[in-house]
Amino acid sequence: MGKKRLTMRRKESIYGYIFVMPWIIGFLAFTAGPLVFSFMASFTNYNITSQMDFVGVDNYQGLFTEDSLFWTSLWNTLYFVAFSVPLTTIGAILLSALLNQDIPGIRFFRTLYYLPAVLSGVGVYLLWMQLLDPGTGMVNLILSWFNIDGPSWLFDPDWTKPSLILMKMWSVGGSMLLYLASMQGVSKSLYEAAEIDGANTWKQFRHITIPMITPVIFFDVVTSLIGGFQIFQEAYVMSSNGEGGPANSLLFYNLYMWRQAFENFNMGYAMAMSWILFVIVFVLTLINLKLAPRWVHYEGEEK
Amino acid sequence: MKKKRLLLTGLMGSALALSGCAGFQTSNNDESTVNEDGKVVIDFWTFWGSEIRRPVIEQIIADFNESQDEIEVKHTYLPFGDIWTKELASIAAGDPPDVVINDINTTALRGQEKQAMNLSEFLEEDDISERFYPELWNATLHEGDSYGIPFNTDTRVLFYNKDAFEDAGLDPEKPPATWAELEEYAAKLDVKNGDDYERIGFYPRWGIDFDVWMLNAGGQNYFDENNNVQIDTASNLETLEWLKTWQTKYGDDVINAFKAQIDSQQGNPFFNGSLAMYAITPTFYTQIRDYAEELNFGVAPLPERESGSGNTSWGGGFVAEIPEGAANPEASYEFIKYLTDVDAQEYWAVQNFDNVANIEAAENAAASDEFTEDGSMVYQMAVDNMEHTLLTPVPVIAPDFTSYINPNVEEFFLGSMTAEEALAKSQADVENLVDNNSQ
Repeated sequence: MGKKRLTMRRKESIYGYIFVMPWIIGFLAFTAGPLVFSFMASFTNYNITSQMDFVGVDNYQGLFTEDSLFWTSLWNTLYFVAFSVPLTTIGAILLSALLNQDIPGIRFFRTLYYLPAVLSGVGVYLLWMQLLDPGTGMVNLILSWFNIDGPSWLFDPDWTKPSLILMKMWSVGGSMLLYLASMQGVSKSLYEAAEIDGANTWKQFRHITIPMITPVIFFDVVTSLIGGFQIFQEAYVMSSNGEGGPANSLLFYNLYMWRQAFENFNMGYAMAMSWILFVIVFVLTLINLKLAPRWVHYEGEEK
Repeated sequence: MKKKRLLLTGLMGSALALSGCAGFQTSNNDESTVNEDGKVVIDFWTFWGSEIRRPVIEQIIADFNESQDEIEVKHTYLPFGDIWTKELASIAAGDPPDVVINDINTTALRGQEKQAMNLSEFLEEDDISERFYPELWNATLHEGDSYGIPFNTDTRVLFYNKDAFEDAGLDPEKPPATWAELEEYAAKLDVKNGDDYERIGFYPRWGIDFDVWMLNAGGQNYFDENNNVQIDTASNLETLEWLKTWQTKYGDDVINAFKAQIDSQQGNPFFNGSLAMYAITPTFYTQIRDYAEELNFGVAPLPERESGSGNTSWGGGFVAEIPEGAANPEASYEFIKYLTDVDAQEYWAVQNFDNVANIEAAENAAASDEFTEDGSMVYQMAVDNMEHTLLTPVPVIAPDFTSYINPNVEEFFLGSMTAEEALAKSQADVENLVDNNSQ
């Protein structure tokens, strides 16, 4: 009897491995190799085509001690992440709470707010460049109706990153969908019980909805944090000549790394940059995972 | 140390094998690529895929294939945003194309990095350097050897509206010759209606930017021939201050509103006469031709800072080069020679209304009867302007130097730095970059 159960378990684990095999093969073939290679090459002066000499920690040392643009790009990226992640998360939660109401035509609104998530990439950036145009853009036109003299957005270094954050807020539809789905899964009986106890809507939201969707919030925060650090295209498309201007205010980490690798051909240096970013993101994700048990609530979890 | 290095090499070798990504020149390209007719096949990469350019380059290729029976050129179009990163990957993989069109101002850098082949052995046998404008040829050199053959180029000139000139009581045949005249004419050409401008005389930072004006004022690049940095100069300071006076005169709101129209291309205020003078490349003529046929305009060199300081203008362009590791460099070079010879260049110049690198072809094109009167006028000006045109090849020691200048100058125009501060900081930052890179 015991023997049979063991083979059953063994069988199951074999099935498990078969199911994850595509990922493992893909990882070994396409990710692990380049990963190891980039780590090795970050200690060389690799230039892609003709040289690869060991230079010790010169690249890392140069980045930390001599390269002012490295610090600029890191600061810009941290600024962007620090604002965009909480704001888009809160925005998506509030929006999905609104769209979780039972009113006629709600499907229409859901579609409408999800639409920006369907549109993607360069087209959206070009659209926003027009919307944010200081002279003729619609954003400043609307602001002027309220007697607000709108800023120069993408032309003013103090406003470029807020411009991108605003654009990100507009396209929260993707994560909104996740929140909405999980809100719909919250049992109605919880709300009914709370109502009987006299809890108002805000209290219901605060003490029922939010705790019940914390697993999704956790997922969203982790993925958008990682995504935020990888911001590249927005700056490449929305600054003139893809330089990350004005005044280097859109010079994000990945943009600078790309420039070092493919314009200056300092691939070893760029690889060192990528490892520094990896460590930063890795540590932040670890912190996230460590903090998670304190606030993430899984239903049916043993305490 | 040696052991460590060996270990590292071993590890890297296995990493390479793992990743399947060959980081070094592998010689898997020794066998010639020959087609069924016994012709050597040349893969030619360009980013010319538009309806206008593609047929022209493909006609040139067809003519070449027709002209001899040993080489067959095949055209591969790649989008501008991809072509050079793809080329880089293919060189690293040891399987590059045979001829690639690339940026002229970074040719020396690619020579140093061994991406582009040293062409001196071909040039020793058959020197074609005399075909081209010397400024273009010199931009292809790294330590005296050429790494690319100039194909096309451009320059910056001043377009002006003759009707507006007459309207303002100016002689339409006498465009401004100095900065002082430029200001004086612009003031006469301005038509103000309340706070708005119905017509703007001129604004120096549309079409071109401060770097061209600095070049125009001083007649010199940011680096001299010994790589000494010369950014913090009296002439550059004067240029920045001068540009700021224009910004103050029109104000940011007016400037931004007009800039948005200029960026929209078809709505360029020069077409409907609400901008009287505009500094840009001569190929701007094709837009006038397409969007504002009736416009009565003239074209002139960029004005001088002061009488005698020179009408220096700025240009760029593209070269045809052979990537390192290409299979049949002799055949590649044969094709490049054809591509940069008079017939092909003249055809390109006339069909595309584009400045070409070959002097004779450029002069032939200016006389071409396929152009209208206006077209010939602009093209002749483009050709004549080449003698005032400087290129700014990037120094191999600091290829990204502009990242250390532009942000400071932008801060100056935004008002958060003085001109002195911006130039002093740029000078120090670029010197620092050169120092770090030469260690």
